[in-house]
Amino acid sequence: MDKRTVMKLALDWKDPPYVPWNINLTIPAEEKLQAHYPGKDLEDVLQNHMVNVGYDIYFFHDIGNDCVQDLFGVVWDRSIDKDIGVVKGQVLKEPTLKGYNFPDPLASIVYAEVPGKLEKFADRYRVFGIGFSLYERAWTMRSMQTLLMDFYDNPHFVHELLNCIADYNIAQIKEILKYDIDAVMFGDDWGQQRGLQMGPKLWHEFIYPVLKRMYGVVVEAGKKVFIHSCGDVDELFDDLVGIGLNCFNPFQPEVMDVSVLIPQYRGRLAFYGGMSTQKTLPYGTVDDVRREAQKLLGLGKEGGYIFSPAHDVPKDVSLENILGFIDEVQHQPGFVNQS
Amino acid sequence: MDSLLQQIYEGVVTGSVDAVQTNVQGALEKGIRPKEILDGGLVSAMAEVGRRFENGEYFVPDMLISARAMQAGMTMLKPHLLEEKVAASGRVAIGSVKGDLHDIGKNLVGMMLEGAGFEVLDLGVDVAPEKFVDTADKVDIIALSSLLTTTMGSMKTTIQALKDAGKRSKVKVIIGGAPVTEAYAEEIEADGYAPDASRSVTLTKVLLRVN
Repeated sequence: MDKRTVMKLALDWKDPPYVPWNINLTIPAEEKLQAHYPGKDLEDVLQNHMVNVGYDIYFFHDIGNDCVQDLFGVVWDRSIDKDIGVVKGQVLKEPTLKGYNFPDPLASIVYAEVPGKLEKFADRYRVFGIGFSLYERAWTMRSMQTLLMDFYDNPHFVHELLNCIADYNIAQIKEILKYDIDAVMFGDDWGQQRGLQMGPKLWHEFIYPVLKRMYGVVVEAGKKVFIHSCGDVDELFDDLVGIGLNCFNPFQPEVMDVSVLIPQYRGRLAFYGGMSTQKTLPYGTVDDVRREAQKLLGLGKEGGYIFSPAHDVPKDVSLENILGFIDEVQHQPGFVNQS
Repeated sequence: MDSLLQQIYEGVVTGSVDAVQTNVQGALEKGIRPKEILDGGLVSAMAEVGRRFENGEYFVPDMLISARAMQAGMTMLKPHLLEEKVAASGRVAIGSVKGDLHDIGKNLVGMMLEGAGFEVLDLGVDVAPEKFVDTADKVDIIALSSLLTTTMGSMKTTIQALKDAGKRSKVKVIIGGAPVTEAYAEEIEADGYAPDASRSVTLTKVLLRVN
């Protein structure tokens, strides 16, 4: 059985032969693992089950001084955090889109690597990732603090901005549907360590209707909908399932009860993530890591679960701990390493 | 409570800059003492904002607009408070630790502390331990913020730098941020941990024995 089929069974809660996994690494963690496997392709080491033919943040060009600029015009300072960076300045200084031109959603750079990736990872589940897909895209353009106040100060502007971002994404979704993909994964962090950043009332007023529109396009095409949203957001699951969500990531164990949620949403929502990147991976022993991985694999054995650390593995995780969970997932009965 | 103070209070709680400015001006013209306007209007309103945040009635946008309204009133009051030699409840230096460029959590804590009557010295983001050490003689509390597990170590480094400089006993150190826990605060020998901006006020008051 190929990885794509195992993923489909897991997402549909149909007793997969083993729990599939998908592990992403930050640059420092990748360097650590690569040093352990010199000359080896890490794709062969990780044996991931998904291929992402989209993007996590967007496409950048270097503008010097450790800064990059994305196609929306947002400047990111990567002097410290080399993976994501921190937004610098404000593309939309005033609460208006007058004078601002969105980039071309159909720019060839977005799709240039799609055929090659689909061919190279033909046995994997195909996901088109749209990172920073709504609220996050908006705050990168307007600054987080300003956008959060705009919800009250300039509600018409916020509605307009979010809908323009959605139109942009929908144009990309319609284009990617021309390829043989399985799912669209939206990325948009709404949570904080406790509760939603903007609270449920503003989320329902501003975010929900736009999500419904974006998810609707994916659902109508018969594809699965994934969302990556960091933080304590499980209060939204029923609403999200109602508009077509199939799989939730990153499933952080520090902010939600993974052992309660998997059975609670049996048959309705699958989970992807779950391995602690705030506690166990950076601070636990390799035995702690193995125990937590085994527990998660046990919870997902009947389906509805894709194993992964709840974030790209950060730089403060030891090599031993990385090797620990890789070993656990790859020694599941039913998995045959064909590389 | 005087109706003007009540309106200042309502203005802060609902985040109305105009209402706060108009009524602070009115209160000053009416001869209400600046300290009374501060405590009865601004500080008590921010305490209510904090209470609503802790109870899940208010969220970050609500806190931000309330803090903005409070700051508008504070700007008008400051010269009068100085004139009357009204001292702040305490001085707090705050910053995101070395290696951490995130600021919204740190800003919220700063706003809430200011709204509780503390003087806040914002050192910004990516603050080197030495810079915190330099402020130790001027403040009562040093507040350290970190969003990431990868930068939490700078909290420990900062506390060690205070010890090395012989200044640890001069200040209280409090910490906070998404991955930070009470246990971590104990481990690195911080004086306290607050899980959110509102509770950083309670913690600061307890440590400084301020009502």
